[in-house]
Amino acid sequence: MQIRELLDELLTSLETGPLISAVRHFEAKPAVFASFPSSLDPRIVEALKDRGVEQLYSHQASAFETAAKGEHLVVVTPTASGKTLCYNLPVLQALVQQPEARVLYLFPTKALAQDQLAELTELAKSLPDMRMFTYDGDTPQDARRSVRARANLVLTNPDMLHSGILPHHTKWVNLFQNLKYVVIDELHAYRGVFGSHLANVLRRLKRICRHYGASPQFIMASATIANPGDLAQRLTGETVVELAESGAPTGEKTFMVYNPPVVNPELGIRAPYLGEASKLAARFLRQKVATIVFCQSRLSTEVVLSTIKKMVEDKTGDSGIVRGYRGGYLPLRRREVEQGLRSGEVLGVVSTSALELGIDIGHLDLAVLAGYPGTIASMWQQAGRAGRRTGESAAVMVATSSPMDQYLAAHPDYLFGAPPEHARVNPENPFILINHVKCAAFELPLGADEAFGGDVSAHMEALEDEGVLHRAGEHFHWSSETYPADHISLRTVTSDNFLVIDTTARDARQVKRRQIIAEVDWKSAFAMIYPKAIYMVEGEPFEVQELHYREDEEKVAYVKKVVVDYFTDAITAKGVWILQRFGRQETPGLLAEQGEVLVAEKVVGFKKIKMGTLENVGSGEVELPQQEMQTTSAWLTLDPALLAQISPRRDDLVDGLRALSHLLHSLAPTFLLCDIRDVGSWLGDGSPSQAGQVVTRETMRAQLMQGETFTPTIYLYDNQPGGIGLAERIFEVLPDLLARGFETLEACGCRSGCPSCAGPVNEVGRQAKPIAMNILKRLVPRR
Amino acid sequence: MARDLTELTRIIRRIEAKSRQRPPAPPARSLEALLDGAVEETERGKLLVVRRRFPVDHCHGAQSLLAARDATPEALALLSRTGEAPAAGRRLLYLDTETTGLAGGTGTYAFLVGVGFFDGDDFEVRQFFMRDLDEEPGLLTALEAMFREFDGFVTYNGAGFDLPLLETRFVLGRRRFPGEVFHLDLLGPARRLWSARLDDCRLGTVEQTILRFIRDDDLPGALIPTVYFEYLRRKQPHELPRIFEHNRHDILSLAALTGWVADAVVRAPVSDLEPEALAGLGRLLEAAEPERSLACYRMALDAGLAAPFRERLLLRLAQGEKRRARWDEARALWEAAARAPRDFDPRPWEEIAKVHEHRRRDLAAARSVVEEALALARRHRASERVLAAFEHRLERLGRRLERAVVLSGARQPA
Repeated sequence: MQIRELLDELLTSLETGPLISAVRHFEAKPAVFASFPSSLDPRIVEALKDRGVEQLYSHQASAFETAAKGEHLVVVTPTASGKTLCYNLPVLQALVQQPEARVLYLFPTKALAQDQLAELTELAKSLPDMRMFTYDGDTPQDARRSVRARANLVLTNPDMLHSGILPHHTKWVNLFQNLKYVVIDELHAYRGVFGSHLANVLRRLKRICRHYGASPQFIMASATIANPGDLAQRLTGETVVELAESGAPTGEKTFMVYNPPVVNPELGIRAPYLGEASKLAARFLRQKVATIVFCQSRLSTEVVLSTIKKMVEDKTGDSGIVRGYRGGYLPLRRREVEQGLRSGEVLGVVSTSALELGIDIGHLDLAVLAGYPGTIASMWQQAGRAGRRTGESAAVMVATSSPMDQYLAAHPDYLFGAPPEHARVNPENPFILINHVKCAAFELPLGADEAFGGDVSAHMEALEDEGVLHRAGEHFHWSSETYPADHISLRTVTSDNFLVIDTTARDARQVKRRQIIAEVDWKSAFAMIYPKAIYMVEGEPFEVQELHYREDEEKVAYVKKVVVDYFTDAITAKGVWILQRFGRQETPGLLAEQGEVLVAEKVVGFKKIKMGTLENVGSGEVELPQQEMQTTSAWLTLDPALLAQISPRRDDLVDGLRALSHLLHSLAPTFLLCDIRDVGSWLGDGSPSQAGQVVTRETMRAQLMQGETFTPTIYLYDNQPGGIGLAERIFEVLPDLLARGFETLEACGCRSGCPSCAGPVNEVGRQAKPIAMNILKRLVPRR
Repeated sequence: MARDLTELTRIIRRIEAKSRQRPPAPPARSLEALLDGAVEETERGKLLVVRRRFPVDHCHGAQSLLAARDATPEALALLSRTGEAPAAGRRLLYLDTETTGLAGGTGTYAFLVGVGFFDGDDFEVRQFFMRDLDEEPGLLTALEAMFREFDGFVTYNGAGFDLPLLETRFVLGRRRFPGEVFHLDLLGPARRLWSARLDDCRLGTVEQTILRFIRDDDLPGALIPTVYFEYLRRKQPHELPRIFEHNRHDILSLAALTGWVADAVVRAPVSDLEPEALAGLGRLLEAAEPERSLACYRMALDAGLAAPFRERLLLRLAQGEKRRARWDEARALWEAAARAPRDFDPRPWEEIAKVHEHRRRDLAAARSVVEEALALARRHRASERVLAAFEHRLERLGRRLERAVVLSGARQPA
């Protein structure tokens, strides 16, 4: 059946039609072609023709010409517009015509580098003297030397450049001396902390190139964001030409918002969105529509995958036409899924945002977004995964019951009209900058008046006082035994991954042989692979038996295959403590402050949740160490006198404050243009005696009720270690945030709280909404 | 280990505390006087050079330097990893660096480079030192000139550490490092000879037990970067002479040790060595002189080489016999190895079973060997994989035996 008919059916059926809260139609757009530039090497033209490329799209030709003029450039075009040729053409031209030339490609992930290498190899197979290699954490030690000696095109990632290449630049003299181009793909991925790090890594790269007498040209590609040109300039420190006109054709496209049915009007509960998304995807998959489902977490990916698998399995129980894809799967498995999607053997895939990036998975017809992905840019990127150059495609976003999603479902004009977010970076962030000044000095002594982005003389002097730099003559030298790049991670994840090992696996001869089935990063490990947890790989459940996490141990989780009808969800205990106050603002009834806090979390147990019905069917306890993060936060402490006016009952007040914290947390992203997970919230006790101990929400509630003093404090903190300025922003917009909170409560039709305002009533209590409203009414000035 | 670490921390603290207490007054004596060296000038800047000469028959511990001077190129070739002989003449530099750390990469400096060489009736140790980090160009210039006059290096773990580090420094300073020259890294031979006997093969351990050289008040290597950094920051050179002495001793040990091993490798097999060292000499000689190597191995076994080295050697010898298809000799060696007193090793058992099955075509004998091996393996709680492999083999032998019986039964005349 054609996708058109299926969409019509979805829209018109009595069952689903009323749930479609918005539909937008996007017309097809014809291609704008350009002929091959006359200066393009005939051998490359030949290679392109061999692959069936008879002419270029206009943006590919203008990228080539801009590069030929020696300018830095960024190409901003949608998914599947052939943007890789924009950088591959000038690069191949350089390599074919200048045997000495060297090129460096940076991708945010290893998988993308592999993918691009395969594409380049195919394109360049008839061209002379192409020596292209990836160089990253997966490159075997004994192969590294030969890559360094031979490669004229190196594909790597910022982390490897930072810790493995720049600090050893003397082994890469050939590369740095002759570096002609630096290609940075997926530029939009470098925002926030990661982007601020990259900007500094690029400063270091340029510095090393200068030392060897080279000044490379940057060619970048980005998905649609509000400020690609600005981001490119901030990251590279160069003047960059922005090319945003795509000449690629696009087919017709329909975008729908699907709001799951209300199943309990009294409690304001909608049908679980994961189930609804699964049903939608299965409905299309059964009609052989190639479908991708995007989920918001690794756990929901697995839950949706196993649900869909059950819905689409054939008579033999085979459901291999649907696969899972997420970080943590072993590279081999991921390659297999990508390959299957390209060849059409795999019809559907359920993925985290891992497939949002430009990994080549061929063309799909439908994208199902299980929940708003947190940003407008991400939403379009995910929706863009479905789409062919000709023919029709569709995207369906299934709203969750969060206030954000419900707001968007109710305001489609906002959803479709909002500009994509700005990608913000702050390379001058002192925490980040000082670390890279260290690395730079390690790589090459820093001149006393040498600029690094800007003037860093104060930084150098501070580091000298610290004893890690030493001034001799006109230079600051690294003077410590340590290797600074090892202690600086560009991303919040550490390199210490856990291996998940299946102890029940058998080899081809049926002999028991332990097998690595996945990897889990350090940060997620305690919430995903605690003992007795059900860990799923492509929907197949394993039970964790042992987790080895101690410093002197190999980081491993041993799991065994099990047959269960439930999955597990971790219960965490938490604590937030104030370390330092930076700002403070007092208004009647409220003390708002801002500063540095320590957030500690600990997994203490888990819930067992039945597959399908999602009901709670049991629980267990877990004994694991605490994980700590230092970050910035805004916090609100309410005047006890004001609280006393509202209610004499502490339990009701605690419920109301919890609802308030839920509300402010879920509304904050609309002000910050960030993902809701970039911000954390916690209702704690502001009294200093409570510092040092983590508790579950329930225990915290009891503590607040029984405590000698009553000083409940709402924390809204930055979820990036060290903070990236979100807390400061919350502090600034607090009056507006409180006003928006009051409006939201007032406008919501529910009586005692629902997931879209104060939180589900059975979670926050019957008095929560009225009390939260009462509090806000006193804090928000009347208009 | 833990005690060493706390001890180390305490020492570091003491040094730091000491230097904090002392006011950073200008040193009483000049650095040249303190270290008994001279500031030298190169076209790329200054550096401090310290020279010491020792008579060629100087004894370092129990070992005279003469043996190193008289080592033949052939003997040195046996010791070097590539088996390549040094160019004619004996222009070798014994080299050791003191660095600002072990991290590697471009931020680790070799602030003191010591070299030793024979010069007429003397052995000279020359130490190149940067008084501050900006004297590196001077140091590299002096080294470059020095290296030009010699044909190769002798180091201890130089392949893994000193030479790549120096190469990094040279490249950083935009100079050419003499890459393709003879290099004898003594760590390799030392491991072959003594890893069985010593807890570790660090130069300090080897010089103590083999050369019987005892250092007096030696500055532990781990403290050297800290001492140098302290000197840089506070211009307090009092501890510096200890670094120079440490480095000098390293170089003397290098030369003495070269003499010791060159001598041993020429004389082997000799009965005044312990069996483990004999086995090691056998390995050093294996490729170039198989006859002498075998003689060393035999002597080691006769002298009572202990487990597990005995079994390892037996397996190695058996492997050699197997390559030559001398099955009976190989089997005898495997049988000797299979009876190891302590640990269970499945490999000889498998090999014996294979000889019985495939060479001697004695399936019954093969089966009883596997049965015995399996029983032993179970008693030693061998891994599941090992057990599974034996079980698999046993099953197969069982089937083959059965079929053999049936076949021979069928062939019986009626």
